[in-house]
Amino acid sequence: MSGPPSLWWIDWRLSRAALVRETIGRFLFFCLLGSALLSLFLSGGGSRFLAGRYAITAVLRAEVPSAEAEGLARKVAALPPVRSAAYRDPEAAWKEFLRAYPGLDPLRGAGGNPMPGYIEIRIRPDRLTGADVGLVASTLRSVPHVEQVLAGEAWLPRLLRAGRVASWVCWGIFGAFLAGFFLVGRLQERARAVALAGDFSFLAERGVPAGRLAFYRAAAAAVSGFLLAAAGTAAGGGALFLFLGNDPFLEGVIGPPSDLLLPRTVAAAVLFSCASALLSAAASLHGWRAARSGRK
Amino acid sequence: MTPGVRRILYALLAVAVSLGILFPTPAPAARDVAAELRKERGRLLEMKEREEKTALELTEALRKEKLSKGRVGELQARLTRQRSLLARIDRKVSALNERLERAEKAVRELEAAHGQARTDLQRAEVVAFAGQRAGAWDPWHPSARERERHLMRVYLEADAEGVARITRARERKEEELSGLERQVAVTERTMAREKKVGDTLLSRQGEERRRLADIEREKKRKEKELKSLRAKIARMESVVSRVERQVKERERRARKGAAGGGTARESTEAPRRFASLSGGLSAPLAGKVVTRFGRQHDATFDVTIENRGVEIEAPSGASVKSVGEGEIAFAGSVSGFGNVLIVQHGGGLFSVYGRLESFRVKQGEVVKKGTVVGRLPESPSGKSVLYLELRAGGTAIDPTSVIPLER
Repeated sequence: MSGPPSLWWIDWRLSRAALVRETIGRFLFFCLLGSALLSLFLSGGGSRFLAGRYAITAVLRAEVPSAEAEGLARKVAALPPVRSAAYRDPEAAWKEFLRAYPGLDPLRGAGGNPMPGYIEIRIRPDRLTGADVGLVASTLRSVPHVEQVLAGEAWLPRLLRAGRVASWVCWGIFGAFLAGFFLVGRLQERARAVALAGDFSFLAERGVPAGRLAFYRAAAAAVSGFLLAAAGTAAGGGALFLFLGNDPFLEGVIGPPSDLLLPRTVAAAVLFSCASALLSAAASLHGWRAARSGRK
Repeated sequence: MTPGVRRILYALLAVAVSLGILFPTPAPAARDVAAELRKERGRLLEMKEREEKTALELTEALRKEKLSKGRVGELQARLTRQRSLLARIDRKVSALNERLERAEKAVRELEAAHGQARTDLQRAEVVAFAGQRAGAWDPWHPSARERERHLMRVYLEADAEGVARITRARERKEEELSGLERQVAVTERTMAREKKVGDTLLSRQGEERRRLADIEREKKRKEKELKSLRAKIARMESVVSRVERQVKERERRARKGAAGGGTARESTEAPRRFASLSGGLSAPLAGKVVTRFGRQHDATFDVTIENRGVEIEAPSGASVKSVGEGEIAFAGSVSGFGNVLIVQHGGGLFSVYGRLESFRVKQGEVVKKGTVVGRLPESPSGKSVLYLELRAGGTAIDPTSVIPLER
């Protein structure tokens, strides 16, 4: 053989089974982590779920005509933090009320409908903050057609706090998984470096510097990590796409499947792949060094 | 003195006078007849006084009758108005009773509606409590729960407002009912009062009618009495006249016996006889004739009265002079004529002055024409009336035919 043997050749020839297992494992792991990342990215932690639970109700005055109410709903929907604004006429309000309190239906046989019409305003998940809610509520209160604004002032801060905590927890778990990936990768790299120490010595004896070996290994780990992460994220995203298309609850919590194809989502996936590549390279380098220094 | 006794006396008197006429006595007896004549004349005057009194009473009765009829008419009009008022009040009470029934019915309906509304409200409150309790721990739909709670508040407020509205309506109706009851009570009291007034008016009308009937009876009695008196007076005047003729006849016979006979003048020549009095005749005073001689119609009694003299209106207190020469035959008070003075001018001629206040001469005194014989009374109006009668041969003649009097 002329020249130093390829590192790939060494790994592949000397620990083929381990390399295959490791690659499959990492791919599966990246599938899981990629879908989690996309889910977290789309859902904003618990924001989308909370935004689906939360709505501002603008109770209109009894004398407001339907046409004006609908016009007002359209204007409200045009506000930046607002995702949707739907007008419910008094009849719809009465039906909703009777659904909530079915025992009252026979009591109002002779009486009229006392319910006012209202506009249900839903906030964008990414704008579900106290400031944006306050902005929308104050805007509505300034409208003379609106009699009362039900913005959940009593419980909204707790809801937002819970959303933030949930988001932090999710992202924490995600970060823990990444950290776990790093540690496992490091161990694997170290173990491989230890196992192939003779081979590396052989290469060193033939004039290949140890630094170059480490660099090549890290670069190889980065490339493989990027490719695996990209493939895993794509696979996970595809699976998520299928799930979201079939499960309304998941769609409500995470978001619509079409959001997966948005550029920002793709960019996030690419960034994740790059981060995974860097993490893989770091784990390889760290494991190599640990193996060379004799540390565990 | 009863009328029977009086009639007997009159009959005796008439018989005596007739006997006196048929069997004239010598000169001494003529003096008795003259005395009797004076006596009869006195009785005649007394009867005239009674006649005048009766006439006055009749006038008073007529006045009372007129007054009473006016009162009856007035009471009748008031009764008519009272009945109309009662009918109006009765209609008002009926209308009020109808309104009262309607108001009571409305109050009953409102009470039922109020009870139903309250029951519904209580049930709604129970449902609201149960529903809100069930949804209190539903963190998945906080906004929907908040909206439902708000709608429930709206519902309960609407129900409570409905109950309050019914309560207010019921209170208003009850107030209206109370007002109507008070109004009905007031109207019924008014009606009772008006009925009482009506009864009083009826009673007064009955009393007035009875009084009117009494007055009518009294009037008829007085008219009858007056008629009777006038008949008596006429008879009496006839008797007196006959006696006078008898006296004159005696005088004529006596003059004939004494002077060898002169011719008596006929009564139809009485005015000429007066005019032939020595010195002529003159007016007793300056005045205006207000009551004429002869038959005059009395509007008060709707009868025709025979005036035997005239009444002359003159200033109060004016002196009355003798119309001619003669002798005072009578000076005294006569009912209905006041103080009366009779001057005998001889030859069956007499002049009578009535309604005097005082005399200036005495009975038996000889007076000349123009001699002041009396005086008229004082009157607040400044006017007094002199009654002047001239008699010739027992017949009254119109004084204006022989004396120049202003008419």
